[in-house]
Amino acid sequence: MKPSNSLRAIRPIQRHLTAPSYRPTSARPVLRQAPLFASATTSASPIRFSSTASSPQKEHPKSTVDPTEVSHFNALASSWWDPVGPSRLLHLMNPLRHTFISRCRAASSSASPNTNLRYLDIGCGGGIFAESAARLAHTASVTAIDPTPEVLKIAEAHKRRDPTLAAPGKLTYINSSIEDLPQPQTPQEGYDIVSLFEVLEHVNAPGPFLEHIMPHVKPGGWLVLSTISRTWTSWLVTNVMAEDVLGIVPKGTHDWAKYVNETELRDWFQGKPGWGDLKTLGVMYVPGFGWKEVTGSEGWGNYFFAVRRAE
Amino acid sequence: MPPRIPCRAHRAACPTPTAAVRCRTRLQQTRFASTSASAPEIYDVVCVGGGPAGLSLLAGLKASPTTCGLKVALIEGQDIQKNRLPKDASVVGFSNRCSSLTPASVRNLQEIGAWRHANASRIQPYQEMQVWDGVSDARISFDWDTARSLGPRKPTQPTTIAYMIENVNTVSALLGRLEELGGVDMFASTKVDAIELGTDTEQLDLSSWPVLSLSNGKSLAARLLVGADGANSPVRTFAGIASRGFDYSRHGVVATLDLSTAGWGGPDHKIAYQRFLPSGPIAMLPMPGNFATLVWSTTPERAATLKSLAPNDFAAMVNAGFRLSPADLEYLHTLPSGQAEEVAWREKHTPTNERGLPVRVTDVQAGSVASFPLRMRHADTYTGERVALVGDAAHTIHPLAGQGLNQGQGDAAALVRTISHAVQTGQDIGSTLALESYNEARYAENNAMLGVCDKLHRLYSVESGPIVGLRSLGLRAVDAMGPLKGFFMNRAAGGV
Ligand SMILES: Cc1cc2nc3c(=O)[nH]c(=O)nc-3n(C[C@H](O)[C@H](O)[C@H](O)COP(=O)(O)OP(=O)(O)OC[C@H]3O[C@@H](n4cnc5c(N)ncnc54)[C@H](O)[C@@H]3O)c2cc1C
Repeated sequence: MKPSNSLRAIRPIQRHLTAPSYRPTSARPVLRQAPLFASATTSASPIRFSSTASSPQKEHPKSTVDPTEVSHFNALASSWWDPVGPSRLLHLMNPLRHTFISRCRAASSSASPNTNLRYLDIGCGGGIFAESAARLAHTASVTAIDPTPEVLKIAEAHKRRDPTLAAPGKLTYINSSIEDLPQPQTPQEGYDIVSLFEVLEHVNAPGPFLEHIMPHVKPGGWLVLSTISRTWTSWLVTNVMAEDVLGIVPKGTHDWAKYVNETELRDWFQGKPGWGDLKTLGVMYVPGFGWKEVTGSEGWGNYFFAVRRAE
Repeated sequence: MPPRIPCRAHRAACPTPTAAVRCRTRLQQTRFASTSASAPEIYDVVCVGGGPAGLSLLAGLKASPTTCGLKVALIEGQDIQKNRLPKDASVVGFSNRCSSLTPASVRNLQEIGAWRHANASRIQPYQEMQVWDGVSDARISFDWDTARSLGPRKPTQPTTIAYMIENVNTVSALLGRLEELGGVDMFASTKVDAIELGTDTEQLDLSSWPVLSLSNGKSLAARLLVGADGANSPVRTFAGIASRGFDYSRHGVVATLDLSTAGWGGPDHKIAYQRFLPSGPIAMLPMPGNFATLVWSTTPERAATLKSLAPNDFAAMVNAGFRLSPADLEYLHTLPSGQAEEVAWREKHTPTNERGLPVRVTDVQAGSVASFPLRMRHADTYTGERVALVGDAAHTIHPLAGQGLNQGQGDAAALVRTISHAVQTGQDIGSTLALESYNEARYAENNAMLGVCDKLHRLYSVESGPIVGLRSLGLRAVDAMGPLKGFFMNRAAGGV
């Protein structure tokens, strides 16, 4: 069935692939999108952003993937790259991610070069964004990480189908969470673009999670993400429509309380010295037309968000 | 005509056991032949077919900064250089294969930098079109002045309806531009022997990539394989895309004509004429000087008769085609020869308004009379995984609107846009997802054009009864209404 709305139409699918059923935190299998439960905040209502960087820690739960989930996942994983399969909306959204990034980079009066860019894609899944970033003419390399080994197998297998991506050093997949990824020795060794697409809404504590990510951004580079606002509309569309009415997503897939509002992100980053140039873009899936920019929709639906680290 | 490429190239399972056997046989042959040519050379775009559509696509790709870095190859079975129009070709002796290029097609050729490579002295713009019903004589005339509803035409507004150009001139212009741009690996006088899917080796999985075996022994792997290979497209066969349609049981008779003068409007206001006869439309399209090109759609029997006539009888038949009644024409086709005298006698007894008719044909260029069967074909889709079809490979149209070549130009431009967007956003240009927008952009539009031309053909095949009255009414009504005429002209001119 074709999801009739933009909002959760895609996330449930990813989630479905990795964590089809919702469990209490303690028994939760590792979420591809939510590698860190670094601070054990499991607040059920509006997200509290931690303002103190969590200390680097290794105690986040290690994978305890339920074998029945794996087989369920495997059945779906093969369709990750199916253009008319359950990831179709993600595929359709992908070009817009690049449009947004290009726009951010064009708007910043930066001395940073326009070629040989290095990307870090966090929660890369089957590699939809990572592959496309690696194909761009200005890209030097893409490092793509995901804590779920199964999706990385899909990603690696698909990468072999394109000689451009198979070039040494072009696209590297690492089975890792962001916490386990070694931090750059010096800020200049960071990445020009760090991307976090459709991940944040699965994270229990977005603040500490973002704190882990930020050191990977090179001065002058961008952290770019997409997620969904926690609003009445999104609750109706994703929890009621997608799960209860249309049934395109298993019940309990969504934890609406984890959605992050654009204003919350904005406020949080405004409190971070050395980060600025905030940019947002609201997008909406219009059946028959695809993903469209809708000014102001960042307030109530899917949106892109970017923030730049000062040079 | 049977497909030129063996069925083993089908992505779908071989349809019949016999076919499967054939597949295997060919496969062994190829293996044997190509043991030395181990790994295929990898290309971003491999275009099969160097006709107007394929060359326009390649020139478009190479002319754009976004796509000029793509590694592309062209494979053309014929000797491209031999068929080229010499730069200094004088303005006599026109090829019988001419097309009416719409302003939209010309604009695209200008944008990709090819138009200035065309031999301009052999191109004829025309400013007026006269179309009438051979049974009822109801008439419609198109020119931009009468098509405008409000006020006179501004000097900046176009006066040209379309441009008559030999296909060989279009092709030569595109080749000239490609030479200037460089960067295309050209395999001319080279046939595609076979297309099959690649293999999954340790380093690379090319199992979704079409691999082409060429008659020169080379093998190329294509990220995107473009079928610009004409109506019997081997690429379409490989992709397993069905093409549906029917034959009109009509032939198009083409010829280059010598006229008594440059025409009623002189050299600066040229007029195209089309008369709908029950057997099909007869059209005379202006070429430079006192020349014109003929496209006469008619039954295969009459086409055979016309082709057998001496030049003076042929010229008389063309004059008669625009002047005499369908009944007279039917009789004239039964004569083995002597049409010239017969037509002269009958014309004396047929009142005509010569100002509304093309000036008289005095001769026909030696060797220029030819005919080809008219067909309508439309592929089920223009895209598949790592495959896109353009031009006649995707659709073949009744020539009565002169849209065949223009549709191919539109396809090429749309595919360039799709590829360009895919490159800008890092998509795999051969993926079905990336190609979707091309199919969406072109399929409905071409289908509408095929439908209109087909319906016109059927409408005008009727000789008597209420339809003749209605269609005459329709022509007269459209003629009387400037804005509506403007709409039709815009469509014919390739505008919006
Ligand atoms: C006999 C004839 C007369 C016509 N007359 C007119 C006319 O008067 N006016 C008009 O508007 N239209 C006319 N048309 C239609 C017009 O020619 C086409 O619409 C136009 O040429 C289509 O362009 P294209 O590039 O799509 O295909 P084509 O021009 O058909 O080009 C296809 C190319 O692919 C090549 N090719 C095919 N298979 C292979 C292979 N296996 N390996 C390598 N190369 C291959 C062929 O050699 C050819 O050059 C005519 C068509 C025909 C057949």
